[in-house]
Amino acid sequence: MNTSADQNTLRDLIRQKKALVCCGPGGVGKTTTAAAIGLAAAREGRKVLVLTIDPARRLAQAMGIDASSSNLSQVDAQRLKEIGINPPGELHAMMLNPGAVLDSMVKRFSSSPEGARRIFSSRLYGHLANMVAGMQEYAAAEALFELSSSNRYDLIVLDTPPSRNALEFLEAPGRLSKFLDERVLHFFLPGTARKWLVWKKAGEFVHGLFARVFGQEFFEEMQQFILAFSGMFGTFRIHAQGVRALLTSKDAAFLLVTCSEPGQKEEAVFLRHRLLAMKVQFAGFILNRSWAGDETALPNVLLNSTSWLEKLEVLAQEELRHIKRDKEYLDQLRKETVPNGIIIAAPYLGMDVEDLKGLQLLVEGIFAKC
Amino acid sequence: MMDIMLDIFSRRLVLVTGKGGVGKTALTAALARLAVRRGLRVLVAEVVADDQSPSALSQALGSVNSKPGEEPVGLIPGIRGVLLTPTKGHLRFLQDVLPMRLVADAAMRSTAVRRFLAAAPAFSEMGVLYRILDLLRQRRLDGTFEHPLCIIDCPATGHALALAQLPAMLLQIIPGGPIGKAMREGLSILTDLQQTAALVVTLPESLPVSEALELSQGLRGHGVHIAGMIANRVPENLLTSEERKELEEIVAKQGPILGMRALQRRDRAHQSLTRLQKEVEYPLITLVERIEQGPILSETISRELDEY
Repeated sequence: MNTSADQNTLRDLIRQKKALVCCGPGGVGKTTTAAAIGLAAAREGRKVLVLTIDPARRLAQAMGIDASSSNLSQVDAQRLKEIGINPPGELHAMMLNPGAVLDSMVKRFSSSPEGARRIFSSRLYGHLANMVAGMQEYAAAEALFELSSSNRYDLIVLDTPPSRNALEFLEAPGRLSKFLDERVLHFFLPGTARKWLVWKKAGEFVHGLFARVFGQEFFEEMQQFILAFSGMFGTFRIHAQGVRALLTSKDAAFLLVTCSEPGQKEEAVFLRHRLLAMKVQFAGFILNRSWAGDETALPNVLLNSTSWLEKLEVLAQEELRHIKRDKEYLDQLRKETVPNGIIIAAPYLGMDVEDLKGLQLLVEGIFAKC
Repeated sequence: MMDIMLDIFSRRLVLVTGKGGVGKTALTAALARLAVRRGLRVLVAEVVADDQSPSALSQALGSVNSKPGEEPVGLIPGIRGVLLTPTKGHLRFLQDVLPMRLVADAAMRSTAVRRFLAAAPAFSEMGVLYRILDLLRQRRLDGTFEHPLCIIDCPATGHALALAQLPAMLLQIIPGGPIGKAMREGLSILTDLQQTAALVVTLPESLPVSEALELSQGLRGHGVHIAGMIANRVPENLLTSEERKELEEIVAKQGPILGMRALQRRDRAHQSLTRLQKEVEYPLITLVERIEQGPILSETISRELDEY
């Protein structure tokens, strides 16, 4: 129980923030956690959107997401009532489709319909996700920017994309805007007149280098492609800055999701350092699938049967080992967190969380220990 | 006695792949130990973002003296380790295609080139793949390969697949020039049954099993030979069905007891394992769950793998 006035709780976060970002390495249960936080926020009466990239099929269905489209979906009010959510709380969900986000950006920001057509018809456009790092992350950031500036939701819970680098999402917009920096791009653009000889020489060097490495034909094709895109770079940059401003503001907080697998602690500590270095608000850790909890006693009736006792003893010892491991991990996380940082144990439920009832159980488990 | 290990150790390149957290690193270390016991010289490699990244493999092997960098170093007797970074691969690539080393170094220092290479994931993957080719090509003075067996701990589900897809994909984008040439070489090694094999690792849990099955299909679709799948950390099946029934009756009367969660976990593991056994199209290795960690774990697993 938190008593000090400035101490955060998960409740404070879901009541006060406009954006909560769940990050962590793949496989720790970010999507489920994000969905549970969304549900909890809706129960607090907030109008919440869970933005996710790659939900497990059944969880997506439970949230009302149609996997074949990237449309917004709303969990039906009647079904929400069944799990204790009453108006004004609303739970919306959206599955991000990076390709669709990009298509829509090109349509909206191209200088002319002709320009958009040129981009869509380029052979390279279909390979864009392979050619520009973090396209998925960039699309997530762009969607977050659009949805948060629309003011349609009180809170957006973002489940970060499952990239190799768990914080790629934060870096992608910055990296893209660096890449789109004119000083870099003009090396690729044909016939740009430059005043200074040294720039001209540098340009010639890079041109020659690229033509040599990529082949003249591909290099020219790429120049045309970048040229077609170049009118939109300004907008891209402004949006990248907007996302950065939102994510570093007081309205946003980051939660690190972790679990008790070997190597996860190092990963969690490493990511926490990185988040702090990025000047975003790190709000705390969520230990997912936690066994830490009250031990139940063995019923007496079994103590008479020897063959049973042995087997149950094995199971009981295993459970105790899990409990001890998770309690120790929670203690370590307490040491690793920031002042006022929260530590949440999301309980292991002994089943896959794949429907609203499961999510509700998870939410109750989370708040039982908060 | 099967011959999965013989099959694996007859290759030059072994990709250990699977979802994050399934135990790939410990398995890579265990495979390397077993290979050494069978008289082979091994290079273990892990894909990392930069040369400052910590080496999980060196921990799993219990190497105390040395930390791998971008050049191979000895970790424990018989096993060398290396960090695979995109940057090193780019540099090696440029050194090979540009007329002078000096030009390659200058190119790597150029902001435009660096940013361009960093902006394209295809080029990151290409850097890693090129570095693998580069290491596989190296020979000793006597003409034998410097690294006869290279086992790679692939970092995430997508990565082995990304590597496997890369040559064909890049060849579509850039069919000509030095990149095309390098990718054709990459493709010929990755899809060469004699040279390359993948081991797909999973845990006995529903989502990881589905992903592992998808991954193995994807890899095969790209022509990569799959030597086998590993169901890792499989808990022992403890109760007979009669005992279970009795237990359920008791729990129904008395409420939950200590150990029920552990039992549920085992049940779920066995459901997933059964599904994997039914659907798998490759030799399946089942490894029991262990509480050991670090070098002891990799040593124990390597003894267990010896049976296959």
